[in-house]
Amino acid sequence: MRVGLRLLELARARRARAIFVVGTGKNVGKTTALLAIYEAACRSGLRVGVASIGPKPRLWLDPNTVFVTARSLLPPSPAVEVLEISQLASSSGPLLYARTAYGGHYDLAGPSSASGLRAAVEAIAARSDIVLIDGAIDRIATLASTDGAIVVSCGAAAAKTESEAVCDVATLTARLRVPAFDPKDGVLELEGALTATMAADFIAAGEGRQIVVGDSTQIVMSGRSLAEALMRLRIRCRRALDVIATTVCAVAPERSFDPESFLAAVAGGTRLPSFDVFAGREVA
Amino acid sequence: MKALDLLDAASAELLDFDWLVEAVAPVSPYGSRVFSELVPFRPGDEAAAESRARRIAEAAEQLHPDRVSAARSLLEQLPDIAGVIARASMAEMLDDPSFLEVSRFCEMVERVDALLPATTLWQPTSGEAMHAVITALAPGHNEPEGFYLSDAFDAELAAARAAHAQAQAEVDAAHGREQERVARELGREEIAGDEFIVMRTELTGTLPEGVRVVRESATYLLCALDYGEGSRSALERRESAFGRVGALEERVRSHLSAIVRAHAPELGVVAGAVGELDVSVAAVRFSQSHRCTAPVVTREPALAFERARFLPLEAQLTVAGRRYVPIDLDLRGATVLTGPNMGGKSLALQTCGFLALCAAFGLPVPAANARVGLFDQIAWLGTGLRERSGGLLSSFAREVTSLKEILERFAPRLLIFVDEFARTTTPHEGKALVVALTERLAQRNAYALIATHLQGVAAAAGVTHFAVRGLKGIGTPPAARDLKDALDALAASMDYTIAEVGGDDAPQADAIALTQLLGLDSEFVEAAYRALSQ
Repeated sequence: MRVGLRLLELARARRARAIFVVGTGKNVGKTTALLAIYEAACRSGLRVGVASIGPKPRLWLDPNTVFVTARSLLPPSPAVEVLEISQLASSSGPLLYARTAYGGHYDLAGPSSASGLRAAVEAIAARSDIVLIDGAIDRIATLASTDGAIVVSCGAAAAKTESEAVCDVATLTARLRVPAFDPKDGVLELEGALTATMAADFIAAGEGRQIVVGDSTQIVMSGRSLAEALMRLRIRCRRALDVIATTVCAVAPERSFDPESFLAAVAGGTRLPSFDVFAGREVA
Repeated sequence: MKALDLLDAASAELLDFDWLVEAVAPVSPYGSRVFSELVPFRPGDEAAAESRARRIAEAAEQLHPDRVSAARSLLEQLPDIAGVIARASMAEMLDDPSFLEVSRFCEMVERVDALLPATTLWQPTSGEAMHAVITALAPGHNEPEGFYLSDAFDAELAAARAAHAQAQAEVDAAHGREQERVARELGREEIAGDEFIVMRTELTGTLPEGVRVVRESATYLLCALDYGEGSRSALERRESAFGRVGALEERVRSHLSAIVRAHAPELGVVAGAVGELDVSVAAVRFSQSHRCTAPVVTREPALAFERARFLPLEAQLTVAGRRYVPIDLDLRGATVLTGPNMGGKSLALQTCGFLALCAAFGLPVPAANARVGLFDQIAWLGTGLRERSGGLLSSFAREVTSLKEILERFAPRLLIFVDEFARTTTPHEGKALVVALTERLAQRNAYALIATHLQGVAAAAGVTHFAVRGLKGIGTPPAARDLKDALDALAASMDYTIAEVGGDDAPQADAIALTQLLGLDSEFVEAAYRALSQ
């Protein structure tokens, strides 16, 4: 099973021009998933752009890949096409856009702010067929709501038990998949975040209208309270996100889960196509 | 742009110096550096101040505003190559982004030159050095705004890159074959990534050759595929080719760095000239935007103008859809200005100060014509200074302290605006103080405009008396329902003309009329008129 290609196909079927890979925590296989999609996109002959929030470990990039990096991180060799020196900055210094002429190892760096990331993605998208973004969900929500698809990665590194990992990813995807509001129906618009306390008050008051937040990152609840709120309230958002799949990483230095059962549990918990990039498996 | 000791902070605030600074600010880093060192012309520099203002006004006349905007847009995008020039001068090897910055700088400066024909204000900044650098870096233009150390720079580099690409293809092919073999033997479509999982249930027999177990568990093996014999030798060839490419790329960079270094002094001069140009373009834009004219800058103190505007207020009124009424004035030494409330006395003071500031920086002034001298100090005293609550000093004491500082500084050429000095003490003593101040300023040959509601000051001090004409008779009060209506009615009824008056003519009771215009009930107004007549 070509996992990267399947993820790419899922995104392309939704006409996504950007794929955001986000995770439930660190070392859950985000970069592995992103590289699998990247390789599939390159093999498909697409002009690929890559962006990251903050610095990333050095990646092998094929020729003709557009990427954003810090000026100080640009390798002397192989030389790249310097496309534009950006006004944006990262923790590693001023950023620039470049295109690889030859395959090689390159450092990625990106702006940490949402507005900076938006500018970077737009600059890369103008020169690419598809942009792959290694991102943090709170930064990418407004970006991904336009024409982006989201892949959520989860793994053994971010949870002590398999059930905890499944619960985490199920909660995150449920939150990210809150649907867009219906303007024809009754609406209660919130300016800021929807917290568990507010949700409890709404439930107690028997609120039947759509409770609308800007995007799903403004729903500040997790676990049982989120599940309850989603079940008993009509929570909606102005900018809906398109979560297309999850990926799992059953192994971590600290612990490992059984790959087959973990993958099946994540697919069941999220009701999304789920992939194990390491094992080359999919559970739809 | 620094006012230095021409203005104290409070006076700068009243005359909206910050507004002027923003209105004439350049947009490039080069311009910002020049602008930050810009200081006012001082008495003795009249010819230079007038020349600069005249040349700016002439350029504003000659150039279409669209060209000025286009040039400004280019200047705004100029990369800052000061650091690159410095590194090149120190014989450092430049990196590829630096080459991009230098080539963009040179090309954009040439485009600015093409947009702006030579005037008395500026000459073309680009020259042979710029052209040499552009030519040297031209092979690096991979797209309109990019730079690449392309094969065209060095034939050997082209060959080395071809060899490297060939070696990479061999690595890909060899490792690809190994991955395909392993995938086939494991019954998979592909092996992706550096590490992969093999489920024990799927494994029949041993792992394929070259597969190394990273970690084992009861149900799976975490594996990695080592490079085989074929891949390793291809990798060695690739690394060798890569080293050669790296060395040749450095050789090209070294060559290009030497060219930039050779032209660094001229590039530095151009960068300086671009800074001056940017500052001038900003002044031209200011002049065009605000319909300014070049003042005559006199060797003697002077402040005379026709149809002058205080631009910060004009901008506010324009936004509010209201009309601004320009004023004429010919200040001669210390002069008293009287007039009704809301008749524009304070604005007249601000207009005078603003024009004097423009002239001090060699800028065209917002007036139909003007004759302005240069001053050592422009000061404001009285109303309008930001009121501070608390502290040890009353507002009167603060005024007196400010006056003491102004008088003790003893600026040879003082231009001072006094707005209702001593208004917070008794009218009797207040008048005495204003007369004394007026006399002192006249003795010191200061140029002063002293606005006051007190009667008889000009006659007592023996100075010229100007007055705002004031309300043009109000037959029937307008049915003003809100403040905006009232202000519109007031503006329609007010004659803002400032004219010299003989002696101390009896003032109109405009204050009472104003209360009527601003909506106080007629009974109140009639009572005030009765009290006035008694």
